[in-house]
Amino acid sequence: MPISKAPHEPIAIAFSGSGGSGAVTAGSILLAAAARAGHYGLMMRSAGPQIRGGESAALVRFGPRPIGCIGDRFDLLVGLDWGNHGRFRDEIPLGADSLILADPAAGPVPEPIVAEGVEIRQVPFLDLAGSVADGHMNMVGVGAAGALAGLPLDALVAAAGTALAGKGEAVVSAAQACIRLGHQIQDDAPPSRVGHGCGRWDLSGNEAAGLGALRGGVRFVAAYPITPASEMLEWLAPRLERLGGALLQAEDELASINMIIGSSFGGVPSLTATSGPGLSLMMEGVGLAIASETPVVVVNVQRGGPSTGIPTKSEQADLDLALYGCHGDAPHLVLAALGIADCVLTTAWAVRLAEHLQTAAIVLSDQAIGQSRAIIDPSPPFESPLRRIIPNGPEPDYQRYALTASGISPMRIPGCPGPSYTADGLEHDAAATPSSLAADHHCQLAKRHDKLARFDYGAHWAEIDGGGPGDAGADAVGPSLCLICWGSAHGAVGEAAERLRDRGLAVKVVALRLIAPLQRDALRAAIGAALPLVIEQNASGQLFGWLRAEGALDGDAQSIARPGPLPLRPGEIVADVLAKTRL
Amino acid sequence: MTNAHDPIDTIAELLAHALELEHESAARYEQLADSMEVHHNVTTAEQFRHLATLSHEHAATVEERAVGIELPRIPPWEYKWSCPGSPETDCLDHEPHYLMTRVEALHLALHNERRGYDFYAQVASGSNSPEVRALAARMAAEEADHIAMLRGWLADAEDLPPRQNDLDPPNVPA
Amino acid sequence: MADTATPPAGRAEPPPTLKAKDYKSKVKPIWCPGCGHFGVLSALTKALAYLQIGKEAHAIISGIGCSSRLPAYIDSFGFHGLHGRALPVATGLKAARPDLTVLVVGGDGDGFSIGGNHFLHACRRNMDMTYIVMDNEVYGMTKGQASPTTQPTWSHSKLTPHGTGVRRFQPAAIALAAGASFIARGFSGDPNRLTQLLVQAIGHPGFAFVHVLSPCQTFRPEQKAWKQQVHPCQLEPTTDAAHAAALIQRDDGMATGLLYAERLPVNQPRNEPDTTIAEIEAELLP
Repeated sequence: MPISKAPHEPIAIAFSGSGGSGAVTAGSILLAAAARAGHYGLMMRSAGPQIRGGESAALVRFGPRPIGCIGDRFDLLVGLDWGNHGRFRDEIPLGADSLILADPAAGPVPEPIVAEGVEIRQVPFLDLAGSVADGHMNMVGVGAAGALAGLPLDALVAAAGTALAGKGEAVVSAAQACIRLGHQIQDDAPPSRVGHGCGRWDLSGNEAAGLGALRGGVRFVAAYPITPASEMLEWLAPRLERLGGALLQAEDELASINMIIGSSFGGVPSLTATSGPGLSLMMEGVGLAIASETPVVVVNVQRGGPSTGIPTKSEQADLDLALYGCHGDAPHLVLAALGIADCVLTTAWAVRLAEHLQTAAIVLSDQAIGQSRAIIDPSPPFESPLRRIIPNGPEPDYQRYALTASGISPMRIPGCPGPSYTADGLEHDAAATPSSLAADHHCQLAKRHDKLARFDYGAHWAEIDGGGPGDAGADAVGPSLCLICWGSAHGAVGEAAERLRDRGLAVKVVALRLIAPLQRDALRAAIGAALPLVIEQNASGQLFGWLRAEGALDGDAQSIARPGPLPLRPGEIVADVLAKTRL
Repeated sequence: MTNAHDPIDTIAELLAHALELEHESAARYEQLADSMEVHHNVTTAEQFRHLATLSHEHAATVEERAVGIELPRIPPWEYKWSCPGSPETDCLDHEPHYLMTRVEALHLALHNERRGYDFYAQVASGSNSPEVRALAARMAAEEADHIAMLRGWLADAEDLPPRQNDLDPPNVPA
Repeated sequence: MADTATPPAGRAEPPPTLKAKDYKSKVKPIWCPGCGHFGVLSALTKALAYLQIGKEAHAIISGIGCSSRLPAYIDSFGFHGLHGRALPVATGLKAARPDLTVLVVGGDGDGFSIGGNHFLHACRRNMDMTYIVMDNEVYGMTKGQASPTTQPTWSHSKLTPHGTGVRRFQPAAIALAAGASFIARGFSGDPNRLTQLLVQAIGHPGFAFVHVLSPCQTFRPEQKAWKQQVHPCQLEPTTDAAHAAALIQRDDGMATGLLYAERLPVNQPRNEPDTTIAEIEAELLP
């Protein structure tokens, strides 16, 4: 029996195995095949701590509409073997509607899986693979899963051809032969599940953020490797070179942030990427960028915290650090990408804002976004007039930190003949001379605050969905709700909102892209009279705290916060919303 | 390494050294004057400022002597001084101090001028050129005049109070 | 050898347009009268004037401390950054702007304590810049604590009332072991000789480390004796790292001169664009 779901509903398939069984490659090829068949898709990965040979799982979800999260439950689990499968129990939720493909040679299906009431189907992956010279069982799994999901054989075969091209003709043919074998698992011709898209991008969140950086104008990166940000840097390194820029691997994060301050001082838009522990190290440097008014962008791909935490899992728990991590009063920009596709826009926008406003921008991504791949529509071109303001000619009375109406003072670049200045982390007067006088401190504090507060950020500050008159339907029940979220929570919150609307509730979603400075009035207007619920993936409700402190929420607002490492799921959000609102 | 024992055998080279000597002297007195001002030692700052002015005047005299003569461009480390740095700046036994008095400033200047005198005297005896010897001797005599002048100022300043104590010293442990 | 890196003296050229005094800014140094750093400032302006490096052709980067105040006293672009972090700022600037002559200044605490890691890697990285450390074996700005180059028995700091008991950091030895391609030692009380070392250092292609003994009159008054203790390096400067290591290990820490210089590959990103963002985006299609 093929997986029975309505044509518009996404299908979720997991591959798991251990010891090099190739679960992740299988998932990647399935995702690529879905793209070829015209679908949108998302793939997450999970693995044990071993460098090689450990247990690993690929979680794929695809369908005819953009996929924002990994969903509540998996329709199909292909178990290549059951090595330490207990690790994945929470990450591969199953139910009575789930189908398991199990190889009898791998031993009995683990009891916790059986206990879910799943349907189990035996498929001799190992034997089938053995019948092909150099055949691998994961490719048999790809064929079988593809058949059950209604993906055309030629899409699966072509996807394998592209994915494995680097390994040589023999490997490709063997893989394709195995896929064909697996695809025959379904005796009757399966209903074909084909979407209508083409020319879509296949990329990870880290790659998307890298692309956003390039579009924003970044041409210098200095960075130190850290899970889960390293892939962004690895993607950027050769591409920066090809655009005439460079990436320098630094000796630590303290060097990284200071290097990009130096290169930015020299006139080149600059960026670094790290995770929570690295951002903690960088905060003094971020403060220097703010005080000296040197544009920099720091991307934080968040992971489980605190301290070393859970490096390979996701959490949204560094917002407090991003907002409050500098000593002194140090207003700056904090943005968060709302998903893989949004990394492109958010990072590019952050670069341009930082350049124009001469400040530090912290862009929050997370492991769920950064290390997952998605099939998305290509991002529209990024048009923005925002640039660094550099004075043209020589000005005899040039003052680097002159007080201006906008709060932004033009920034001369080393190498230009004419007046020069010494940038300083020390408090200074308008002429950049260090000063401990009250008047200078107050003026410069106000300047650095006002240049951000007075700026018109336009419509990008949030993605707002729903809340129009027709959204709830004629029979809307109960009060209208406003679900407020940030970062990777957006996908699951969006799906949850749809389900709540299906129940007849009036639901609006406000996903913040610009978290600091908070656009408080715009947010209050968006909330209107609805009941605000702030949904996030951390233990203490960090966004909720920030919004309350900024006066954006009234007393009836509620926090729905739970920590990682598991992704937020639409079903749990629906349940939490209903419980909190007693609907 | 100093080239102190290499003789100076041309007028141009002698004048180049004399000019450097006075410029360095003026620069050092300006630096000390600024430094005294920053540390609120106003009378001593004024004294150094005055000394700087005198060095500028001496430099102007040398420049007049050098009209029409192309002076060699000598790298700073190839001047034929007999101690590190030029004679009137760095051959110091007297350390500046933020509490130093006018009298101490004058002693410092006196020491400098003696070193300047010694330089010219050495050229006057060691040069292979009679012209250079003659000019160096005249310049030594001028330095002697400066020394006499300073001695006179010192005599006038002798009853000035000695160095004061700083009632708010920096965190210097006993 | 390093001497060939310096322009010959007395070359026949138009008279220089910039003099040492032209490089001084209007800001009056806050250093105590008698501070050794005045000599370093003087030597640096003379070196820049000798090389005729224009104000727009260089930048001076510093950390935090008395020595690190220097950039404000020179009329050019500068960056007064974080304690211990001058070298990375300079590295980022040079990587992005190979056209600039980059000078880095700081003290012994800034460079060898909190900045120690960056010092090691800057020596290895061998980017073309000059790092001048003004070593007075004390933390002056914070009023007199021991630094990594302070003798272990110096007991005049309330923070370490019995002395640190820790052997001294050896800047030249560590620079050599970390792969620095130019190591020199100067003395602020001999600014003309220091000028020559700075001219050689700035002309050296690669990372040039100039360790300057620069006494602190206020917290280390006994350093007055350095004038009598410094002496020219007895041996010829060398390009042989093993020979230099032996020389430096035997060194009493007061030998001045060029201790080691070698031409090593210089690290400098220089990439010409050969693609567009549109082409990069095209690669994202499955």
